[in-house]
Amino acid sequence: MTSRIPSVALPAVLEQLQALRKVVQPRALRAMALARARWLFRSVQLRGHNVAAYGPMAVQNDGIIALGDRLTFVGGMMPSSLVCHPGARLTIGDDTQFNYGVSLEAWESVSVGARCMFASFVRLGDRDGQRTAPIVIEDDVWVAHGAIIMPGVRVGARSVVAAGSIVTQDVPPDTLAMGNPARNMSLELVARETGT
Amino acid sequence: MTTPHRSLSRELEGLWARWRLRRCQRIGAAPTVLGRVWIHGDGQVQLGDRVVLDGRLAPIELHAMAADSLIVLGDDVAVEGGASLEALQSIRVGPGARLGAFCKVMDNQHHPLRGNRHERPPSVPLVIEAGVTVGSRAILLPGTQLQKGCSVAPGTVISRRIPAGVTVGGAPARVLRREVAG
Repeated sequence: MTSRIPSVALPAVLEQLQALRKVVQPRALRAMALARARWLFRSVQLRGHNVAAYGPMAVQNDGIIALGDRLTFVGGMMPSSLVCHPGARLTIGDDTQFNYGVSLEAWESVSVGARCMFASFVRLGDRDGQRTAPIVIEDDVWVAHGAIIMPGVRVGARSVVAAGSIVTQDVPPDTLAMGNPARNMSLELVARETGT
Repeated sequence: MTTPHRSLSRELEGLWARWRLRRCQRIGAAPTVLGRVWIHGDGQVQLGDRVVLDGRLAPIELHAMAADSLIVLGDDVAVEGGASLEALQSIRVGPGARLGAFCKVMDNQHHPLRGNRHERPPSVPLVIEAGVTVGSRAILLPGTQLQKGCSVAPGTVISRRIPAGVTVGGAPARVLRREVAG
């Protein structure tokens, strides 16, 4: 006697479902992120294409915010925040990526270049209680976890700000800034491999 | 002597904590889970006995990113809220260690200093030995080895071996105090 149910290879079906999920889920998350960014950045004057926010964010815009194309704001344990006070200007270049917990605050002017990477809990504020001075981050800068950038600092192109550093002075291009207060050292001369 | 309803509620609390930690491969006796604890990634997370995960302030993140990555918390480890452990290879926390609020423990830099920034550099296994105290907002980078009983001041950035019984602080880390035997 043969079974009336056509033979279905259940493991194969499950595997296919898993594979389908692997393909569909990132796209669904991406679509959600794009929609969320449209809503969160509704008060932003200049917004590029394909700005994605993968988690909650706090956006307060009383000045002028200009966002570039293809920005990514990653979600995590703390929401990122973008604050622009009246008369201030906050500019972010194309392809820049932000991890969670990043806080950008502009009282006068903060500008971030293209293709930068901001790790979690990075803080940029151009007023510290004593003075207000514009912050400029040039292109291709990598700011690592927990770094704080003080007012009036210009970080040169392709530079790296190490984790936990507090940058009080200008960083030239192609430089590693590390420590509290941050000391600058040329990236060509930094020979130490990780873990040695 | 415990009353039946108290022992029952303790039993239920233990079950609830185990359910919250269901993504872990091994859970020791009597885990305590408060607030939010996020365990994600494909790798292994192993917990010892009497582990306390206090995620009331901010979520605790245990992220074993790759399939072969490993996070081990020993017996009596206490982790405060906002601590984030990201393992690509392995992070081992010894018995009795305490991790402060918002501290970051990572065994991979995720981006190389030079060359193509979108490929991963090799990871270095990270070891925190028994009885270590890590302050809040400390950052432990790949290559960190905190030896027995040393303590790390809040906000310190470490990327190398710290000998036993030493207190370190600052960015980059300097020795603040050496413990005399006893």
